[in-house]
Amino acid sequence: MVKFGIEFVPQEAYWKTIYYAIQAEKRGFDNLWITDHYNNRNVYVTLTAAAIYTKKIVLGPGVTNPYLINPVMTAQSIASLDELAPGRVVLGIGAGDKTTLAATGVEMRKPLTAVVETIEIFRRMMERKRVTFEGQVFKAVGTKFNFKPKGQIPIYVGAQGPKMLETAGKIGDGVLINASHPKDVDYAVDRVKKGVSEAGKKLTDVDVTAYASFSVHKQEEKAAKAAVPVAAFIVAGSPNVILERHDVDLKEADKIRAALKAGDFGQAFGSVSPEMIEAFSVCGTPDLCIEKINRLLKAGISQFVVGSPIGPNVRKSIDLISETIIPHFKK
Amino acid sequence: MAYQKIVKKIPVEKRDKLSDKLLNFVLKSKKEGEMPSGLANTILSKWQRGPLTTEEGLAALLEAAVLLESEKTMEFLEQELQLAAVAKAIKEAE
Repeated sequence: MVKFGIEFVPQEAYWKTIYYAIQAEKRGFDNLWITDHYNNRNVYVTLTAAAIYTKKIVLGPGVTNPYLINPVMTAQSIASLDELAPGRVVLGIGAGDKTTLAATGVEMRKPLTAVVETIEIFRRMMERKRVTFEGQVFKAVGTKFNFKPKGQIPIYVGAQGPKMLETAGKIGDGVLINASHPKDVDYAVDRVKKGVSEAGKKLTDVDVTAYASFSVHKQEEKAAKAAVPVAAFIVAGSPNVILERHDVDLKEADKIRAALKAGDFGQAFGSVSPEMIEAFSVCGTPDLCIEKINRLLKAGISQFVVGSPIGPNVRKSIDLISETIIPHFKK
Repeated sequence: MAYQKIVKKIPVEKRDKLSDKLLNFVLKSKKEGEMPSGLANTILSKWQRGPLTTEEGLAALLEAAVLLESEKTMEFLEQELQLAAVAKAIKEAE
């Protein structure tokens, strides 16, 4: 049965995010993902609060990166969180976002290698081994915890490019595919399958997760309006190969990039077309969203993550998802 | 304490509507920095245990709404819910 996850960007006060986290648990969501960016609230502080105020929802960073948080410290944070919420902590790890990293003066060096090495260090640290590791990006020199981590933590790899997707299939317990459209998810699942088969695993051994920009409202126009800002940022951040896959005019995409860079949000958001919203979000009335999620299920996903903006009114949209969408898939 | 007394004046049949509206005010407020963490934690604890329509939950929510969105809250109490006595009690408690 498909799992439903929900993503929150901790850009508002902690109590708002935690209010929604409690609501998500009450309304039947299985997973809670908190994003990790230096310019928002801290991911582990947010997850700690969420762990305290919830009882069963599975939670973790979605995703953290190894450049701003050293793999050993990620292992320490996750192991500590797992003491607080035993058996319901997962790690989402990816290479990070180039623009955000650049703002902190950190270079995204060898992203694929960095993620692979992080997972290796993380797993060995969680086994409470003394870790000596000489990687191309990271080192550990006789590193060991003074405490015993409680359990094995499922690792989800945030992936978009072909190599990272294959690697996720090969070494991950899950993969977080940053995509909302069947074209992108089909492509991604094919790459994951390649990695899975190279590792001698089955696709069902990996929790294939579509991490989608999502917006639901009883009125389609209101759902679409809420999705516009996120669609603008996705278009601006997408490589041309993905834009071309969706027949997005590259000149229009450049216009959005330039407007966002100049801080002209009116111009940027005004340039977002209905086709862009369709390509980069799951958006509409509950019935439309069900139809779109069904297409992603056919592509092979096992978890669907409701990501930002969720809807014009987050609280009402969570209730709407719980009343109309989740029961459709979990009846 | 004052808010726990005040919410007793709110008829049970109006509490769902009030709770729903206050949640909108609080969660959409741009003055989130004015929320005391103790009060925020109280609201989260009550919410974790049940709906925010109980007297205790509603009292905490009402206090937060008055702190963050005083004007909107008073207007809603007086005009939409016709609870002038409640609005008056809040003003006296402040």
